[in-house]
Amino acid sequence: MTLSDRDLAIRVEHLSKRFRIPLDRSSTLKHRLTHWRSASRYRILEALLDVSFEVPTGEFIGIIGHNGSGKSTLLKILAKIYRPEVGRITIAGKVSPFLELGVGFNPELTARENIFLSGAILGLGRPELHRLFDEIIGFAELEQFVDHKLKNFSSGMEVRLAFSLAIQAHAEILMMDEVLAVGDASFQQKCFDIFNRYKREGRTVVLVTHELAAVTNYCDRALLLDHGRLVADGTAAAVTAQYRRAIGLAADGSRLAPEIDRWGSRDVVITAARMLDERGVEDTNPVTGGFARIEFGYEIQNDAVADFTCVVWLVRGDGLAVAESRFPVSQYAQVGSSQRGSAGTVRYDIPQLPLLDGEYSVNIELQGRRDGATFDHVDHGIRFRVIDRGGRHGVIDPGGVWSVAASELPVVGWPDRLGSTT
Amino acid sequence: MSTIADAQLDALAAGPGPQLNTFRHYRHLTVELAISQFKLRYTQSVLGYFWSLLKPAMIFAITFVIFVGLFKIKDGTQFYGIQLLLGIVVWTFFAECTASSMMAIAGSAGLIRKAYFPRSILVIAASMSSLFTFLINLTIVFVIAVLLHQIDVGFRIVLVIPLLLELYLLAIGISLFLSALFVQFHDIGHLWDVLMQLLFYGSGVMFSLSYVLQRAHLALATGQTKPLPPSNLWAVVLVACNPIMQTIEDLRHALLTPQAPWTELVVTGHLAAVNQYARFDHPWLLPVPFLVVVAVLTIGALTFRARARTFAENL
Repeated sequence: MTLSDRDLAIRVEHLSKRFRIPLDRSSTLKHRLTHWRSASRYRILEALLDVSFEVPTGEFIGIIGHNGSGKSTLLKILAKIYRPEVGRITIAGKVSPFLELGVGFNPELTARENIFLSGAILGLGRPELHRLFDEIIGFAELEQFVDHKLKNFSSGMEVRLAFSLAIQAHAEILMMDEVLAVGDASFQQKCFDIFNRYKREGRTVVLVTHELAAVTNYCDRALLLDHGRLVADGTAAAVTAQYRRAIGLAADGSRLAPEIDRWGSRDVVITAARMLDERGVEDTNPVTGGFARIEFGYEIQNDAVADFTCVVWLVRGDGLAVAESRFPVSQYAQVGSSQRGSAGTVRYDIPQLPLLDGEYSVNIELQGRRDGATFDHVDHGIRFRVIDRGGRHGVIDPGGVWSVAASELPVVGWPDRLGSTT
Repeated sequence: MSTIADAQLDALAAGPGPQLNTFRHYRHLTVELAISQFKLRYTQSVLGYFWSLLKPAMIFAITFVIFVGLFKIKDGTQFYGIQLLLGIVVWTFFAECTASSMMAIAGSAGLIRKAYFPRSILVIAASMSSLFTFLINLTIVFVIAVLLHQIDVGFRIVLVIPLLLELYLLAIGISLFLSALFVQFHDIGHLWDVLMQLLFYGSGVMFSLSYVLQRAHLALATGQTKPLPPSNLWAVVLVACNPIMQTIEDLRHALLTPQAPWTELVVTGHLAAVNQYARFDHPWLLPVPFLVVVAVLTIGALTFRARARTFAENL
C-alpha cells in the first residue's frame, strides 16, 4: 500500500529504535576515566523493531499496546523528540510540537504567565494569545484565578487550563500521548468533544492511549505494538479486539487479570470478556437507561465437562455486588445432539441499564451444573463507567413512573406527624 | 449541556488562526522563555530584581575596600575605582551567563522530553536574562562615571557594540559547550567553578594589564627591577590571549577613559617598549583573542549540535 504524496500525512519505513540503558548509572567523568577501557555495560532495549506504516491525511489513528510496547517511543520519534535509529520517516504538514497537556507549565508562574509561556511552545504568538486570552480562561473556568500561581491550583484546574490552551494549537497533525489519563469524567467528555471536532475538521490525529473504548469510538484505524513490533494494523474495532484477546489469553493484561483475581479448576476457561453498545461496538462507558451487552468467550478444556452455569455479577467500585444473574449452558443443546463444541460465546444483554453514575466492574464465573464447583472465576473481567446524563444522585434508576391527577388525596393522620395542630 | 459545550468549542475553533512561521515562532519562544526565566530567578525574594544590581555593587565595594583601602593599590590615575567597577560588571555577566546557561538543558528535562523545538533556544533564552541585566548594569556604570566626571566621552564609544557582541558570542559558545556536556557529566559544573576562579585572576578584572605592563616598563627603564624571566613573560602571553581580558580592557578604553586599549597596546609601542628590555615581541597576539572567540563558538556549537539529538533520551 503506497499513498500518493498528496494524501500522505505520515510515512514510516522500517523504523527501529534501541535504547542503551546503562546498568550502572555513571554520569561522572571519574567513572568514564577509570572505566574507559572496559566497554560500558549496557542493557539493550529494543524499543521499536522494523515498524512500517502510512497514515493518510485526515485519518484518526490510535496506537495501543501494553506498557513498554514502544507506543510512546514511536510517538516521540514522530514528534522529532527522539531520533530514529534505523529507518525513514516522512511527515507532510505542520506537526503539533507537544505530546502532553501543560507542557512548559511552571508552578511558580501565574496562570496568565503560563498561558504566554506554554502558548509560545504551542506556536501561538503574543498578539494572538492576547486576543484568545479571555476565551482560554473562560473555557477553563478560571476567571478568578488568572493571577494566582499555578502551584496553588488543584490538579483539575491545571488540567483544564492546559486543555483549553492546547486546543488552540493550529497544527495539521496532532500527536497526543495519554491525554485521557488525566482528569475526571467531565474532562474526558471535553476531550471527546474535541476529538469530534478534529474529525469534523479532517485533521490527522495520532492518539496513544490505554482507553480502548476511545480508540474504537474515535479512531478510523489502530496499530497494535507488542515489544516494539507492529503486530496488527487495521480497523480500530478489529485491532482492539485482537489486543483484548491477547491480554485475555496471556492473563497478564488488565482485562483478564492475574491470579489473585482469578481462580478455578480450569476445566472450562473464560477466554475474553468485553462490553458492547447497541451497535455491537466495544464501549465501556454505557449510559443509564441505555443498552449494554456483556459478552465473554469460553473454552472447554476437560472433555468430561458437558455443561456448566455462567454467573455474572455487576460489582460497584467499592466491592458491593449490585446484581447477580445466572445462565445454564449445555454443549449438546447449543451445538447439536451429537457433537460437542469446545468453545463459544455467551452474551448477557441489559436493555435498559438501571445503574446511575459510577465505576463498576463485571465478575464472571463458570460453575459445574451439579456441584457448583468453580471452573473459572474472574474478578473485574470488565471494568466500566456508567454515565448518567441526568446527573442524578443514587445508585440505581428504579424505572418508576411519575403522574399527577387533579383529584384531592384523602388525608389520614398526616398533619399530626408534621406537627401541625388540627 | 453538551450543546453549550459544542457552541463554545466552535467559537474557539473559529478558523485556523494566523500561523506563526517557524522563525517567528522560535524567536517568540526564545523571548517568552527568557521572560519567564527572568521572573523565576527573582521570585520569592524581597528585593527581587534589585539583587542583580546590588550584587556587582557589593562585590565592587568589597574589592575596592580591600585593594584600595588595605593594599593601597593605585594605578596612578583617579580612574581605578570606576575601571574596577566596569571589570566587575563585565565579569558578573560572564560568570552568571555561563553558570545559568550550563543548567539550561538539564534543568528543562520535562520540556525537552515532551516538546520539539531547537534545543539551543533554551541556552540562548537563559543567556538573554543575564545579558539584559548586564546592559542595565553597564548603563549604571556609565551614569556613575558621568556623575563623578571620570569619563572622557569620545567617538570610540561606538566600539562598545562590537565588543559587547564579542563578549556575548564567547559566553554563548561556552554555554553551548557546557550545557551539552552537563546533561551527561555533572562534573562539568564543579570543573567550571574552579576554572572560573582561575579565569577571574587571568582576566584583568581587578587590575589592568596595560597598567601592569606600563609599570613594568617604567621599573625597567629606571633600573628598579631586572627584566622579567621568560617564564613569567609566557604567563603574560597566555593572559593576553584571553578574550575576556581583551574585552574588559577595550571596554574600559571605549566607554570610560582614553587609556590605551589592549589591541592598541599590541599594535603600537607599549609592548614593544617592554620588549626592548624583556624580549616581549609578539605582534601576532593581536588577533588571538578574536580567534579564540571564533574557535570557542565553533567548538561549542558543534558539540551542542552533535549532542542535542540525544538530549531527550539522556535526560
